[in-house]
Amino acid sequence: MKVKELLEFIAKALVDHPDDVHVNQQEDEHSIKLELRVAAADMGKVIGKQGRIAKAIRTVVKAAAAAEKKRVFVEIVD
Amino acid sequence: MKVVEATGKTVEEAIQNALAEIDLPIDRVKVEILAEPSPGLFGLIGSRLAKVRLQETITPEQYMKDFLEGIINRMGLTAEVDVNYDGEYLKMNVTGNRMGMLIGKRGQTLNALQYLLNVVYHKQFPEQEGRLLLDVENYRGKREEALQNLALNLAKKALRTQREVVLEPMTPHERRIIHTALQDHAEVTTYSQGEDPYRKVVIAPK
Repeated sequence: MKVKELLEFIAKALVDHPDDVHVNQQEDEHSIKLELRVAAADMGKVIGKQGRIAKAIRTVVKAAAAAEKKRVFVEIVD
Repeated sequence: MKVVEATGKTVEEAIQNALAEIDLPIDRVKVEILAEPSPGLFGLIGSRLAKVRLQETITPEQYMKDFLEGIINRMGLTAEVDVNYDGEYLKMNVTGNRMGMLIGKRGQTLNALQYLLNVVYHKQFPEQEGRLLLDVENYRGKREEALQNLALNLAKKALRTQREVVLEPMTPHERRIIHTALQDHAEVTTYSQGEDPYRKVVIAPK
């Protein structure tokens, strides 16, 4: 399952400080929870105006997880 | 992007040394000459090697292709990505198996991907002004045809019932297809209402 790598890969391309991108994954039988951490200065880069970028990231990551029949939650934490 | 500095007895030799280290063809790097060689006195005192810096350059087409392939592979898919820049639009086309995963319900995933690709494209290449257009298995072409048929059918419905017909929320591009399809219709008119991303087309009898 590569959703964690997928999220990291997308986030690193969006931010100015790719080395500060970290994803923490918690997984159980039915769901995967991903916590995305980026540099404080990059928060806007992964959220976007009215959360548009965050929404697009979630849509793509969810599509990837659908094949595994698991629900996936992406949280952006600071 | 890779950067390598190397020295040599001549500039040419320094470039060759740097190329060997950076492991890229000459057309994928930018060469900067940091120091010209000088023989010095009697070839001993004050002699200096040529020094160059090579920086990897990458075309927007190649960068975006690598990025999209990176996403597709991490989604557990394999696909062919075709890129074409026509001077305005950077068009990317994807073909392969299980492509429904990249398209999603009513093209949701495709539109999300296209949006993310545009954000990255304009961040990495701010000098490129045109948009990036993504299509998967000619989904957009087929969708355009389906939307044109939908527009004509709903125009009939609006006339039959003499009521406005409100369509489902669509992207600006999709709304334009509806407006254009009914632009010259004699008996109905179209307009949009609401705010993105929930903006909808309304078809009204004239």
